[in-house]
Amino acid sequence: MRRSLVLATISCYASIFSIIFLSIGYYNYYHDGPPIQPIAFSHRIHVAKVGLPCNFCHVYADKSKNAGIPHIQKCMDCHRAVAVEKPEIKKLTSYWEQRKPIEWIKIYKLPDHVYFSHKRHIKKGVECSQCHGEVQVMDRVRRVRTLKMGWCVRCHRVNDAPTDCLTCHK
Amino acid sequence: MNRRNFMKFLGFITGSTFLSSCGIDKGLRKIISYAIPPEKEIIPGEPLFFNTTCTECPALCGIQVKAYEKIFDTERGIYPVKLEGIPDHPINYGTLCIRGQASITRLYNPHRIKDPLIKERDGVFRSISWDQAFQTIISEIEKHKAEKRYNFFISSRTTGSLSLLIDEFCHEFNIKRLPEFEIYNYSAIRKANSFLFGKYSIPHYNIKDADFLLTMGADIFETFISPVSHAVQFSIARKNNNLKWFHVEPHLSLTGICSDKRFTINPGTEIYLLIYILTSIQKRKISSNIPASVGQLIPSLPLDILKEKTGLKEEEILLIRDAYLNSKRPLIITGGVSTRSGSGFEVAVLSGLINWASGSIGSLVDFSREENYLRVGTIEEFVNFLKTIDENNTGLLFLLKTDPVSIFPQHLGVKEKLIRARFKVSLSDSFNETTKICDLILPLSHSLESWGDANPRRGLVNLIQPATKTIFNTKSHGDIIIEIMKRKGKVVSEDFKSFVMSNYQKRYGKDSLNMFIEKGFHEENPSPVRVSFNEENAQLFLRKLKYPEAMKTPLLILSPSLRFFDGRSFDLELLKEIPDPLSTISYGSWISLSEETAKKLNISERDELEITKDQWSIRVPAKIQKGIGKDIFIVQIGGPINYSGMTDPRSGEILSYIEGINIRKTGKNVSIPILSGSMSQEGRGIIPYPIHRTENNKKHKESLYPEHKHENYRWAMTIDLDLCIGCSACVAACYIENNVPIVGINEHLKGREMSWIRVEPFYDEKDGIRFLLMLCQQCDYAPCEPVCPVYATYHNPEGINAQVYNRCVGTRYCSNNCPYKVRRFNWYPHEWEFPRDRMLNPEVSVRQAGVMEKCTFCIQRIRRAHDIAKDEGRSIRDGEVMPACAQTCPTRAITFGNILDKNSSVYKLSKSDRSYRIFEQLGTEPSIYYLGKRRGDE
Repeated sequence: MRRSLVLATISCYASIFSIIFLSIGYYNYYHDGPPIQPIAFSHRIHVAKVGLPCNFCHVYADKSKNAGIPHIQKCMDCHRAVAVEKPEIKKLTSYWEQRKPIEWIKIYKLPDHVYFSHKRHIKKGVECSQCHGEVQVMDRVRRVRTLKMGWCVRCHRVNDAPTDCLTCHK
Repeated sequence: MNRRNFMKFLGFITGSTFLSSCGIDKGLRKIISYAIPPEKEIIPGEPLFFNTTCTECPALCGIQVKAYEKIFDTERGIYPVKLEGIPDHPINYGTLCIRGQASITRLYNPHRIKDPLIKERDGVFRSISWDQAFQTIISEIEKHKAEKRYNFFISSRTTGSLSLLIDEFCHEFNIKRLPEFEIYNYSAIRKANSFLFGKYSIPHYNIKDADFLLTMGADIFETFISPVSHAVQFSIARKNNNLKWFHVEPHLSLTGICSDKRFTINPGTEIYLLIYILTSIQKRKISSNIPASVGQLIPSLPLDILKEKTGLKEEEILLIRDAYLNSKRPLIITGGVSTRSGSGFEVAVLSGLINWASGSIGSLVDFSREENYLRVGTIEEFVNFLKTIDENNTGLLFLLKTDPVSIFPQHLGVKEKLIRARFKVSLSDSFNETTKICDLILPLSHSLESWGDANPRRGLVNLIQPATKTIFNTKSHGDIIIEIMKRKGKVVSEDFKSFVMSNYQKRYGKDSLNMFIEKGFHEENPSPVRVSFNEENAQLFLRKLKYPEAMKTPLLILSPSLRFFDGRSFDLELLKEIPDPLSTISYGSWISLSEETAKKLNISERDELEITKDQWSIRVPAKIQKGIGKDIFIVQIGGPINYSGMTDPRSGEILSYIEGINIRKTGKNVSIPILSGSMSQEGRGIIPYPIHRTENNKKHKESLYPEHKHENYRWAMTIDLDLCIGCSACVAACYIENNVPIVGINEHLKGREMSWIRVEPFYDEKDGIRFLLMLCQQCDYAPCEPVCPVYATYHNPEGINAQVYNRCVGTRYCSNNCPYKVRRFNWYPHEWEFPRDRMLNPEVSVRQAGVMEKCTFCIQRIRRAHDIAKDEGRSIRDGEVMPACAQTCPTRAITFGNILDKNSSVYKLSKSDRSYRIFEQLGTEPSIYYLGKRRGDE
């Protein structure tokens, strides 16, 4: 009797714990704080303050599936002269001098079975901010959408975009 | 339980739940920026194309490499994912064969040699640096020079700059360059042409201009000279001149089955038939180019003797004769097993005489575009060289991309003879029997990683350029030779790339260089070559002509392999996974024999047989095969099966026949993976013959489901069975394009193959042997769709029977309900380990275990076409979308397009009177239309 009571307590305890931790994990997964990038690049400064358009750096957004990230040479075009004394720019310069690629952490990550084309969305006139949020106020970019299928389909339905499975599932 | 234990448990559980909840993937994947942008602009996600050359076999087709930029861990690189023909390349016209398609897996083969290796005293190989390897070679060269030994260089066929460089290298270091070693060197044809026309070369056969083709033994679609070129030309001739084609052979080959009519001749008796044809042309009197002085020497053969010797029926002989005499532009090609017999030289000379008599030399047999076999020697020459190797006077031996040890049987002692050389250097990409006996192995880069050029035939230069950086620590053959010469103080060129470029510039000038790199090849109109007929030799030949004796039975015929060529492609797993189209056997070797022979010797299928002749022996399981003559046994070359090493001194060729073999049952039973469910159509009219649609096919069953609406597009395919040659190139292309996994022999034995498209042979008394291409029929009323409990498979608005992989739960109901058996289930997760993961097509997802997969009509290509069409604000043009199978098809038997477009070629073909669909009576309404086969006698 006592033995089964003990076992029941243990299992109760375990399940409560797992529920709590799993939900924390789940919350973290979908409402994640912004990851720490190798260089603390601020979208706020570049977009809001300097006024660069998105496709100044993400040049392939209207040309390909992938928007692309700039090569360091592009960063250095300005930062040879601009803000050179700041510690983060010094970090950038050292990458440049070593000709070492920067390993940025990907924030918007889609599963392998999804086909998504930036080009098609941009050409239809979808604003970058509709999916990526207001990056001009973010010092550190974080993900603002779930990127779950339901979220995609809702928008596709509203805009009369194709909802055939093969549009996105590859 | 006491309190202490209770607390322990509690602690453990708390800790473990806490730890496990930390393990959630937070999407920490990286994107890596370039430091400096690459020279050639790379748009991420978009494919890159490079034009280069396929080096899997000596045909040297032009290929377009499709590559993607991929990020792995911390590495960003360009990796080829698919090979396709260069659209206007004069050899292959945009198409590629099974071996060419599979050759990309050679680049990503994990068993490649990864570092330079040196043999230690104890016989074990140890990896060294390239620097050490070069030092070793230099010091060996010095040593043997001082001790006055001979050095030798032997390679497989090389052309273009590489061949020139080897010459310079050999000259510089006083190395004797031996004739190049190729098993298929066509020396019988070359010798015959030299004898009759004074040209020691292989001409280019213009099959596309012929209206009647007679092939004898030549496996023109499998290995003979340039198979893809022949297939392309066959297709053109079929369409333009309604080509009629007869094939005569002693065994059973793919080529034979594809011909309009196949005749089985007694082995080694081709001469009789050839003489008969020649006499008939002479008798016709008009338009024979053979002078009377020669003509009168041609012996006349009574039909009775001919019948008796060749085993052909009278009407068959007359059919061949009349077809030859009645055509305007006849062409005869002999080769393959017919020239690899004791009378090979006679066969080649007689066919040369026939071509001369009918005026085909110069037009259909084109010496101005002769194949570049200048440096290729004969087997005889190689065997003679072996005799000269001596421990005392043979120093270095270079072996470039050649494996003579495994080609010759053990009892001939080739290995022992080669070992006698003091220091053997092998340049090879994979381990083989020859690398085992070498002292130094230099790993070669794949042609997709190296610079170079190739000169397949007169007037044509192909470029070889890298599509990726080297995957392992390898170097190209050109760079290795240049580096060795540099170390000796002789700078030929900075590297092989600049050597190739300067060679090109010397020849064609600087202006067209960029064009050459862009296009991948340069063709010039070769100056015409006039050949004259050597009357004296012809007279001499006819005077001395001896008729061959009948071959002793039981007879073994060693046949070239569609999949493994002369055995060189045997290390490609993919080629073993794709079944042989005649027998549908995938892995392993087998011996084919007729039912009659099997009965006589009391052999049943799968019985292991030991075949011996003197010291030569093999052990293979038996496979009963229709279409083979009595007492004839056939094995295909590849892996453990190789030629017997016997050569014919006059033709210089290796012999394909082993007479009077001993057959012994070992008593063992060997499982062979035969993938076909049934070799017979069982009267179901799968391939209706002659051209008709049976009553059965016209009946329709009412469908209970509502009709599907297709707005703008409905994708459909037509497969012309008259052009399909069963070459399986489509199968290989599909594997590579769609990331189809290789599952291995054990799964195949359970009938669990993964190929989305297959070639099905059907053997029927009435209809003969016919191929059918089977892939998902993309039915309008697909039986697989309504049974899926989770809607993973459904009908897409463009008529595709779609499969959503991450929705599939693996009930396999769809597969059970499919009348065509084209759905494939992933029983296990498939590993794509390094470097095979680099090969994956990023536009197609990799399916996980427990998921059903199938042909998608290459949806990724349709999607891409949509993308481009949307950008340009138009609809998709006809012919813009090509699934991988249609793209690679050498005969263009597959047509794909939008059947709603009345102007599309697929619509027109589907309305042809030859068109039918398989199992139409079921009411599945497939989107694949087959065009029934015509036959030569119709």
